[in-house]
Amino acid sequence: MVYVRLFWIFLRVSVISEFQYRVNFFVQLFQSALALGTGLVAMSLVFSYTQNLAGWTQPELLAVMGVHIIVGGLIKTIIQPNMNRLIEDIQEGTLDFALTKPADAQAIISVREFRIWQLIDLVLGSVVLGYAISQLSTSLGWLSALAFAAAVLLGGLMIYSVWLMLSVGAFWIIRADNFLEIFDSLYQAGRWPVSIYPGWLKHTLTFVLPIAFAVTLPAETLARQLNGQNLLFAVGLTILLLVVSRLFWRFGLRHYTGASA
Amino acid sequence: MSQTIKVDTLIKTFQVPEREAGLKAAVGSLFKRKYREVEAVKKISFGIDAGEIVGFLGPNGAGKTTTLKMLAGLLFPTSGQIDVLGYEPQRREKELLRQITIVMGQRNQLMWDIPALDSFELQRAIYQIPEGEFRRMRDELIDLLSMGDLVKKPVRNLSLGERMKAEFISALLHRPKVLFLDEPTIGLDVTAQRLIREFVAAYNQRYQASVMLTSHYMADVQALCKRVIVIHHGQLLYDGGLAGLVEKFAAYKTIGVTLNDPDLDLSEYGEIISNSKGQVNLRVPKNATAQITTRLLNEVAISDLTIEDPAIDSIIEQVFQQEAQVV
Amino acid sequence: MKQHLDLYLTLLKTSIISQFQYRVAHLFWLLAMMVEPVVYLVVWGTIATSQGGSVAGYTAGTFAAYYITWTLVRQMNIALTPYAFENRIRKGRLSNELMRPIHPIHFDMSYFMSLKVVTIVLWLPIAGLLWWVFQPIFTFTAWWQIPAFILALLGGFVTRFLCLWALGLVTFWVTKVSAVFELYFTIELLLSGRLVPLAIMPAWVRDISQWLPFQWTFGFPIDVAVGTLTGPQVAWGLAMQAVWMLIAGGILALVWPHAVRRYSAVGA
Repeated sequence: MVYVRLFWIFLRVSVISEFQYRVNFFVQLFQSALALGTGLVAMSLVFSYTQNLAGWTQPELLAVMGVHIIVGGLIKTIIQPNMNRLIEDIQEGTLDFALTKPADAQAIISVREFRIWQLIDLVLGSVVLGYAISQLSTSLGWLSALAFAAAVLLGGLMIYSVWLMLSVGAFWIIRADNFLEIFDSLYQAGRWPVSIYPGWLKHTLTFVLPIAFAVTLPAETLARQLNGQNLLFAVGLTILLLVVSRLFWRFGLRHYTGASA
Repeated sequence: MSQTIKVDTLIKTFQVPEREAGLKAAVGSLFKRKYREVEAVKKISFGIDAGEIVGFLGPNGAGKTTTLKMLAGLLFPTSGQIDVLGYEPQRREKELLRQITIVMGQRNQLMWDIPALDSFELQRAIYQIPEGEFRRMRDELIDLLSMGDLVKKPVRNLSLGERMKAEFISALLHRPKVLFLDEPTIGLDVTAQRLIREFVAAYNQRYQASVMLTSHYMADVQALCKRVIVIHHGQLLYDGGLAGLVEKFAAYKTIGVTLNDPDLDLSEYGEIISNSKGQVNLRVPKNATAQITTRLLNEVAISDLTIEDPAIDSIIEQVFQQEAQVV
Repeated sequence: MKQHLDLYLTLLKTSIISQFQYRVAHLFWLLAMMVEPVVYLVVWGTIATSQGGSVAGYTAGTFAAYYITWTLVRQMNIALTPYAFENRIRKGRLSNELMRPIHPIHFDMSYFMSLKVVTIVLWLPIAGLLWWVFQPIFTFTAWWQIPAFILALLGGFVTRFLCLWALGLVTFWVTKVSAVFELYFTIELLLSGRLVPLAIMPAWVRDISQWLPFQWTFGFPIDVAVGTLTGPQVAWGLAMQAVWMLIAGGILALVWPHAVRRYSAVGA
């Protein structure tokens, strides 16, 4: 309960400070619209030459794109800014401020930043997803909607765990920001269903950086059919990643205190 | 002696956008902005001779850096004339740029990741210094600053003081005739400050270069400058010898007396700054110094008496405070 | 001329030394940049295969040739982003540069040239790997293809460099410029042949991009290497690069003094 309050307080502070830069809202809106436009152009080019891409129809691919934008928006709203701040703090030695607070350090470093304007992507992605579903012949039941929400949440937690582990790398490697560069560009690959990629890339996107679970699986849940087995597997993997990243964070923290003492 | 820098009724005004509070004003300012004119430098005139080191004093925001930047050609004057070595600096002619240099204590120009020695090489190519002259000058400067093999270490591994020394070498390789030094000793420890000071003096001696120096450390100014220019709120307050500055602005003197009777109260003679075991320091108005000294000698049993000017820092501080009250 | 040569050689030497210290960072960065073309390649290779082998004349093999060359052109194309001007002004670096008796553009030019020396060394093994995975098919018809490609590659870099430098000057007058730059980069993505070969685009898009600089800096060098252009087409492309260098260079020469004047009126 304490942590929900903590999250709420940080959120409030971020919202107040971001509202001082209202121009950024328009800049963000413009940039998101450009990105969406580019994605739509690429898709319409693909479908001017073919009826389906490796078995995926246009509405299905549109659904993938919608989920990709939504999850991307979530990442940029909360995961990325917090992890960037974490790396910065580790590099500049200012992490001490977070560590000396009387609350769980991992909880604090995970919710300090909140970029509300990035939520525009959440809106745009939902519009795309909604349109895609309306084009599909399958009807949408409560069960699949619930499964979709669960899949997005699980995917977000997985990405958070992986990103945390990469960031903790900054305890040892000075230029850890480069890992994140790779993450960012690999995430772009998630715009298309992971199944179209050759084996090595598909496995990287499934097990190394779980984009398959974060984007393709939720889209599949909605646009195709609910695959209970995959969802169960996602639950297991999420728990595993959360535990491993927690352990890794504590291991890194020991290293940090050791180095600065 | 020839003048290297001539400044005549120099004025610089900036246009500053006015900000008003509230959403309506914020939206409105997207389309139409109101501007306010701020005069940073108001009709300043002075001249500097070849071989002269001049201290340029003033509190933060007085217009020091603005003036220095105009002299270096980085800012366009609003009106007035500047002549540096026969050129108008704002035209930024290459012939002028090859003869001047600017060193800023808060900014580094050396490349971070490579040894200073390689940056010097770059400087040679930029300023097209002939190879032989370059080597001679480089080794001479390294020697003067006793940098030794430090120039072979990447700049990021140098201490702040060492880095500043390397900056100086790099800035002087082309043997400039005019040096603009903006807070060159800021943040350095006492030893490094002294080294830089001695170095500037030596360079000035050897090459008869004109130096304009701004610094918050009065020790820098006292050690290097016979002459100071004081500006405040963009206006020239004083231009002349350092001693004259004290003469002109010190409103008080300090009289130190050693009393035979330590319990004697001297407060009727002046403001007591300190009193320990009969060692009393009195602050007295400058023009009354002679009169009070005579009275003390006549009326009190004294074993020793000294008269001192206040420290230059406190004079400067006092000048700026007075002015702030006037304006 | 001799003076400039000396300057460039020294600048190149110093910045190659400092760039090589970040080789690991560069390698990561390079790897990250490979994802984009691989995605395009997989998507279009899949389509070509499903459409009976080819799309608009491209087979999976020629797509592979296109996008593998893409990775080289992309590296060679990297130039100053127009955003850098904001930093330059805000952090006062421009003041330092203006104090030197040399145009700041030379510092950027040599910096980016040194960057290419470093990245090309790191690129070679990655390109080998891509070659092995995707089996590209190049059409080699004449000996001049190789020198023409090198020329087009260099011309593409210089053209893009000048265009972006000229665009960056907007920063001197406007404060919120990122929207303008984003728009420029989006148009570039679509019309340069970066997203897809222009042959894939509808005819009217190809017509428009004929008269814009973008494709001459990106798609054109790739097409020269892949071997889809005839001799006269190559000559025409090189001429278009020259035209755009002149236009961008002319704008630069014209606007730069005003930009400096503006900078020195406002101050940093």
